[in-house]
Amino acid sequence: MIFDSIRVLLQGWAEQGLLPQMFTYGFVVNAFMAGLIIGPLLGGLGTLVVVKRFAFFSEAVGHAAMTGVAIGILVGEPYTGPYGSLFGFCLLFGVLLNYLRNRTGLASDTLIGVFLSISLALGGSLLLLLSGRINIHILENVLFGSVLTVNAQDLTVLSVIGLLTAGLALFHYNHLILSSFNAQLAAVRKVRTILMDYLFVMLVTLVTVAAVKVIGAILVGALLVIPAATARILAHSMRGFFWLSILIAIVSTLAGILLPIQFALPVPSGAAIILVAGSVFILSALARGFVPALKGTTA
Amino acid sequence: MTGPAIDLQQVALTLGQTRILYDIDLHVPAGSIHALIGPNGAGKSSLIKTLMGQMPHRGSLTLTWPDKPGVIGYVPQALEFDRTLPMTVDDFMGVMTQRRPAFFGLSSRNTGAIDDALTRVGMQDKRKRCMGALSGGERQRIMLAQALIPAPALLVLDEPMAALDEAGVAVFEDLLAYWRKQHVTVLWVEHDLDAVRRLADRVTGLNHRVIFDGPPAEMLSAGQLLTLFSAHPRRREASGETGGAATLSRVAA
Repeated sequence: MIFDSIRVLLQGWAEQGLLPQMFTYGFVVNAFMAGLIIGPLLGGLGTLVVVKRFAFFSEAVGHAAMTGVAIGILVGEPYTGPYGSLFGFCLLFGVLLNYLRNRTGLASDTLIGVFLSISLALGGSLLLLLSGRINIHILENVLFGSVLTVNAQDLTVLSVIGLLTAGLALFHYNHLILSSFNAQLAAVRKVRTILMDYLFVMLVTLVTVAAVKVIGAILVGALLVIPAATARILAHSMRGFFWLSILIAIVSTLAGILLPIQFALPVPSGAAIILVAGSVFILSALARGFVPALKGTTA
Repeated sequence: MTGPAIDLQQVALTLGQTRILYDIDLHVPAGSIHALIGPNGAGKSSLIKTLMGQMPHRGSLTLTWPDKPGVIGYVPQALEFDRTLPMTVDDFMGVMTQRRPAFFGLSSRNTGAIDDALTRVGMQDKRKRCMGALSGGERQRIMLAQALIPAPALLVLDEPMAALDEAGVAVFEDLLAYWRKQHVTVLWVEHDLDAVRRLADRVTGLNHRVIFDGPPAEMLSAGQLLTLFSAHPRRREASGETGGAATLSRVAA
């Protein structure tokens, strides 16, 4: 497998002293590769999340992943990777929410609030039910991410989903933005607004499921939002917005994975990644306040 | 390229329990500039949405193209976007006109057309400005510019002059003259009756139903306008009267 070859190569470099000592461990290299795939994916898709004002939705899908994990374990999937239920429940959550938004005309945040509460209540109940069967602390890996559990199969899932979502998102990037600007304008330009909304829901769901191993179900939504929100503070064009978001997501992901290992900190990878991303956001917000050039011309 | 003729026959629109449009019969000749006027809430924007296939309507709606179907352009009243978004004028034009993601920059195939369109609306020197930092009138000019790419045969304008300043109005009038010369069909929702009188070939007064339809010089009389802006179609329907014809005959009498 290609990932095994890369891992062996990097481990060899670490043993020769070309890379830090921690890269001699296979799980560190696996986590590093996972971060390199998931970081740019979340950072890039995050720009669409921010433009389309889907931040709350992304958070909600991430939280729905917790319920998906609980359902997966209940129906007999392995607790280290209940991908079937995870994907199934998150997709159902997103598609149903989008369908009801179109049918009822209710504001998105109202519907998301309803769905999020129901999903959390269901997830909480199922997890309590599961606590009699398995050691519930095992679930912390899925809920908050754990670099230790990333294996070659996860990397394969991650890269297939990564290629698929990146391809779809890039091909439809402008149309996904246009569909949120004005429905009539999108219609005359032959953009199918409703289809684009469903596509976007699917992309967010796919990426959420793929990122659960590294970042965890609870915090994955945050990495879709924080790098893009940070980039929006600093950028003055779409070019800067997109590439800065990707850069911040990569730096946060890799730092969040590697720093706790390097300094032997007992922090889950997901939490560490979000803490790094959150720190970059706060620093950027402060910098924008103090550096006049960063204020730019954005209103 | 000459634009299409538009024909609406007995078009009716009901949303929930509310009837928005009553039996609209309307003919827009090919290559004409046709204004649509009426009070707020009269159904003008709903008629445009219906025309674009965005509303579940009754009745028939036909576009008769002289040759093969051409490009339809649209200038919306407003855009729903975050004013703080780091999206420059160039980025916006890229999003509107190309498949290549806006963050990769403008595609070389479109650059010439975008240059021309922005020059035509006098916004060439502001293309690196963020959309949110533009004034309402400048943003409206950008809306007009995007409607020029690709060159439209039918243009639907939803109150394009609402935010324009004096220079912007001049730009708009130039564009209308250009579209007239190109035989583009223009359906134009407008509040400025003076502009309609000067620039439109025909005008339709709409207040949930067609109140009048004809050349502006004949239709925009004080009596007609009083009827249009004081018409209460729902109340008339409840009392048993029907349609704009009854209103018009009453005015004529």
